[in-house]
Amino acid sequence: MSENILHNEQKLLNLLEKKFLLKESRIIRAKRVEVKVEPKEVIPVLLYAKENSGYIHFAHMSCVDWIEDGEFEVVYILWHPEEKINLFVKTRVPRDNGSLPNIDFIWRQANTYEREIREMFGLRFEGLEGRKEFILEDWNNIPPMRRDFDTEAYVKEVFFHRLGREDAKDVREKIQERTDEELPDFAKKYSRD
Amino acid sequence: MREKTTTLYLGPQHPGITGNMMVKLQVQGDTVVKAETHVGYLHRGFEKLMERRNWLQSFTIVCRICVPEPDPNEENYSRAVEEIEGREVPERAKYIRVMTLELARIATYLLWYGGQSGSAGLYTMPQWSVGDRNYILDLFEDLTGGRIYHMYIWPGGVRRDLPHGFKDKAMRTMDYLEKRLDDYDKLMFENSIFQKRAKGVGIIDPEKATEWGVVGPPLRACGIKSDVRKDDPYEVYDKLDFEVPAMEGSDVWTRALIRRFEIRQSINLVRQALDKMPSGEYYNKIPNPHKWTIPAGDAFVKTESARGEFAYYMVSDGSNKPRRVHVKGPAYVHGVTLLENLLVGENIADVSFIMNSLGTCPPEIER
Amino acid sequence: MYNDKESQKIVDIIQNFARKHSLFVLAYGTGCGAIEIPPTMTSRYDAERFGIRGAATPRQADVLLITGYLATKTLKRVIRVYEQMQDPKYVMGFGSCAINGGMYWDSYNTINMLDKYIPVDVYINGCMPRPEAVIAGFVKLQKLIQEGKADGWDRYKKNLDEYRANQKKIITNWVMPDFNR
Repeated sequence: MSENILHNEQKLLNLLEKKFLLKESRIIRAKRVEVKVEPKEVIPVLLYAKENSGYIHFAHMSCVDWIEDGEFEVVYILWHPEEKINLFVKTRVPRDNGSLPNIDFIWRQANTYEREIREMFGLRFEGLEGRKEFILEDWNNIPPMRRDFDTEAYVKEVFFHRLGREDAKDVREKIQERTDEELPDFAKKYSRD
Repeated sequence: MREKTTTLYLGPQHPGITGNMMVKLQVQGDTVVKAETHVGYLHRGFEKLMERRNWLQSFTIVCRICVPEPDPNEENYSRAVEEIEGREVPERAKYIRVMTLELARIATYLLWYGGQSGSAGLYTMPQWSVGDRNYILDLFEDLTGGRIYHMYIWPGGVRRDLPHGFKDKAMRTMDYLEKRLDDYDKLMFENSIFQKRAKGVGIIDPEKATEWGVVGPPLRACGIKSDVRKDDPYEVYDKLDFEVPAMEGSDVWTRALIRRFEIRQSINLVRQALDKMPSGEYYNKIPNPHKWTIPAGDAFVKTESARGEFAYYMVSDGSNKPRRVHVKGPAYVHGVTLLENLLVGENIADVSFIMNSLGTCPPEIER
Repeated sequence: MYNDKESQKIVDIIQNFARKHSLFVLAYGTGCGAIEIPPTMTSRYDAERFGIRGAATPRQADVLLITGYLATKTLKRVIRVYEQMQDPKYVMGFGSCAINGGMYWDSYNTINMLDKYIPVDVYINGCMPRPEAVIAGFVKLQKLIQEGKADGWDRYKKNLDEYRANQKKIITNWVMPDFNR
C-alpha cells in the first residue's frame, strides 16, 4: 500500500502524537488507526477526536478480560464520516478495583455500553448513572463475562439436564464401550461387530 | 389543569414483529412523556459461549444472534477471522456472499413491510409480503439447506457451490418480486391512511443523527449518505453498480421510502452478482477445526445489514478459541438511547410503529 | 344431570371437538422460533384453516407457544402469563432449546428443560422448526385434545408444589401473586 493512500491515517496519528502522551500507536491497515493511552487520558483524547478531528460517530465500545495480566482492556472505536477512518482508543485498567471515567456526556449512547460492561465485567465507571440491572436480573454471582466465571459449573448446579447429554461429551469412547444389548433395535444393524 | 401521569408497560410480550423487549412508558393521556427500554429477555450469553467453543463451533452459533437477518452475522464472523488470520477468499465466493447478503436483505425488508404496515393496522400487507418472503427462503433452502439459519458463509469462502439451475430460479424469483413490489406500493405507499400515520412521526434531528449513533436506513432518511458498502467496501461491492439513497425528512415515512428504494436496488444487486460471478473455487480449505488456531490480534469488521451497520469486534489470543467476540448490532443504539428519546411526545399507538421503522431487534441488543 | 358415564363421554367428545378446532394462540415470542410464526400464519402455510389464530392477551388464549430458548428473566414472565391463562390451556415447546437447551446448553441464562417449570403438551423438534413442522405439531396437539390426553393444565395443578420448587430454584426474587388452584 502506498503512503499516499494512508495519508489521512498518518495525519491523524501525527496530530495525536503531538498532542497527547500515547503509549503506543500504529496504523493497523487502511481505515483502521489504533492508539493506546492511560486511563486518565481517555477523556482528553476522545474529546479531541470528537471536537477537533471530526470523529463524531461513536461506533463501538468493548471490554476484553486479560486475566493473565490482571487487566481489562477497554476499546473505544470512533468513526470519521468524511475521511472514513475507524480510530481505536485502547486503555488498560486493573481487574480488581479498577475504574474508568464515564464518557456518556460526550456520546449519550456510551451510557448503554458502559452499563453493559459494568454489569457483565464488574468494571466501575465513575459517575455512571442509570439502572444497575441492564440485561441480567437478580444476578448474585460474579459478573458472567469475567474469565473466571465458569458457566458450565454454574449450569450444572442450577439447571436440569435431560438424560443423553452425559455421553455427548465424549461420544467416541462411550460408543466404543457400549455393548449391543444396550442399543435400540434399529441401531443394532449398524453396530460394529 | 395538571394531568395525571400513568405508567404503562409495553411488552415484554412481543410488541409487533420486533422481538421480546419492554418499553416502560410514562404517559399523560395519550402522549408519552418518558420512555425507558428494558432488555434482557432474550439474553443467551453468546459472547461467553464463544469463549468456550473453538473457532468453527463458534461459527455455527453466530447466525442465531439476530433472528430476522442471520447472514450479516456469518459474514462478519468470517471476515473478522479472515482478517486476523490473513486468509484469502476466492473471487467466486465473494460474489456468492454478496448475493446471499442481498437476498437476506430482501427477505428482511419483506418482513419489515409486514411489520411496519401491520403495526399501523394494515393486515393485508403481512399476508402478501411475508408470504412472498417464502420465495426467498426457498432460494436459501436450495442454496444452503436451511430456511432461516444458513451457516453458509464461513471462514475461507462459502460452504457449497451454487446448485444446478440456481441462477435461473433466482432470476425468476427476482422478476416475480419486482412485479409484486408495484402491488405493495399500491397497497401501502399509495394508501392515504398509511401516509397520514407515517408522515411527521418519529422525527430524528438530522444535525445530531451521526453523533447519536444512528446508522442504516434511519440515517439515510436524515439526508446523510452513509452506507458501509460504499464507505468501507467489503467483498466485491466496489465492483458492483449501485447508489446510496438519501432523502430529507427523517420521519417514519422517509425511512419507509428509503427501504422501498433499497429493496429494488437489492434485487438489482442480486442480478448483477449472478451475472458477473466468475467460475472457479468457492472455498479456501480451513485446517482441521480441532487444531485450528488463529494468530493473536484483533479486528473490527462491519457489514451493512438491512437495519444498518452491523459490527463485530473480535480478539484472538492465539489459541483455538476466540478470546472475545463482541457484537454490535444497529439496534443496540436504535433500540435503547435513540428510542427512549424519539418516543417522548409521541402517541402510544405510534410506539410499535416507530420501533418497527427503526428496525429494533432485541436479540442483538442483549445477544 | 350427566351423572351416568355414557352421557359424560358424549359431552367430553363434543367439548374436545369444539376445543381442538378453535386454538387461540398466544405467541409469546421468546426466541428464534418467533420468526417462523409469521410464515405459518400467512398465505402460503395458512394455519388459520386449522382454526389456529392469534390472541392478544393471555386471558383469551388457549395455547402458549414457547418458541425456543427461554432466558431466566423471561421464565418469570412466562410463568406469570401461563398462570393467567384459563383452563384448559396447552403449552407447545419449539425447537431443541426448549427440549434440552439445544446449542445453549451451557449458557448461564437459559433454562435447559422446559417441562420442569411448566407442563408441556407437545414438543416440536428442529432448529428452527419449519412451518410444516409447526403445523404438524398443532395437528398432534389437536389429536391429543380430542383424545383427552392434553392434560398439562391438570398436571400443573396437581403437582404445583414440585413445579413451584423448580421455578423458585431459578427465580430467587419471587414477587408474583400466588396461583389460585
